[in-house]
Amino acid sequence: MTEEKKQQKEEISEDLKNLVIERLDVLPSDKKISIGSVGEFTKDELIERVKQGDEIGQKIVEIELSFLRALKEGTLLEELLFSNQDDKEK
Amino acid sequence: MLITRPEHDPATYYLSKWSEKIINKAKEKSVKVIDLHRDKANRKRVIGTLEKVGPRLIILNGHGSDISVQGHDNEIILDKGDREAIKDKIIYARSCRSAKSLGENSILQGAVVYLGYKEDFILFFNPINLRKPLEDKTAELFLEPSNYIPISLLKGHTAGEANNKSKGLFRKNIEKLIIEGPSSDDYYAIRYLLWDMVHQVCLGDENAIF
Repeated sequence: MTEEKKQQKEEISEDLKNLVIERLDVLPSDKKISIGSVGEFTKDELIERVKQGDEIGQKIVEIELSFLRALKEGTLLEELLFSNQDDKEK
Repeated sequence: MLITRPEHDPATYYLSKWSEKIINKAKEKSVKVIDLHRDKANRKRVIGTLEKVGPRLIILNGHGSDISVQGHDNEIILDKGDREAIKDKIIYARSCRSAKSLGENSILQGAVVYLGYKEDFILFFNPINLRKPLEDKTAELFLEPSNYIPISLLKGHTAGEANNKSKGLFRKNIEKLIIEGPSSDDYYAIRYLLWDMVHQVCLGDENAIF
């Protein structure tokens, strides 16, 4: 990979981090999220982990991206339509 | 039916308390319940019970990894080497990632069905309810659907039906939150509900019945 491409990749990663941080920032402050045996996190703690880019931070980025992908590709909508269709068939 | 209910941190406490609903349903159906609660959820008791008593349905609550499920104080209670203990069993593991490798391996080693999660099981909850997890409406969005796997099995549904009906409850919760919109306190739980639902799997014989 050329230096230019490497730099571009890092920039995209930084963009993604910022996007995820903005999305996490709207989470209610009084709730916690339990992730595996690592523990429970408030939104501020999650934002800190995303900034650090550690394992939890990466997991949170992955979850946000998979949700955004489901919105973009329409799979979330498909899931809900599938559910309604199922209910009608029952 | 054997159920493990470790209680050593908030997540396991929530799973344990919500599992009381599963136990109540089992009792209502006159199913004998072996409840390995708190420090009884240890490897010696789990494996000993599985090999000596041989309950067909195993419900495991607790933390996990690709290759193991843990009990009280995160002691490993089930791993890839437990061929005899899991033979002919229907297993539901409400734990992180264990369906990924342990689940696949369990089927190869003779378990009938392995229901669980291929990724981390995410739980969104309100810490104000830490002493009363059953009153936590946020946690209910996650734990009512996941509870429905064993409840559905106890009702006599097949493993595949139990998985689908549980996913249906996840979908209903997502739909409810979408309709309520961002003014709902739990609107932002949608992404985590979708995550748990998508990674919930039924491996092995989907037609198996308890």
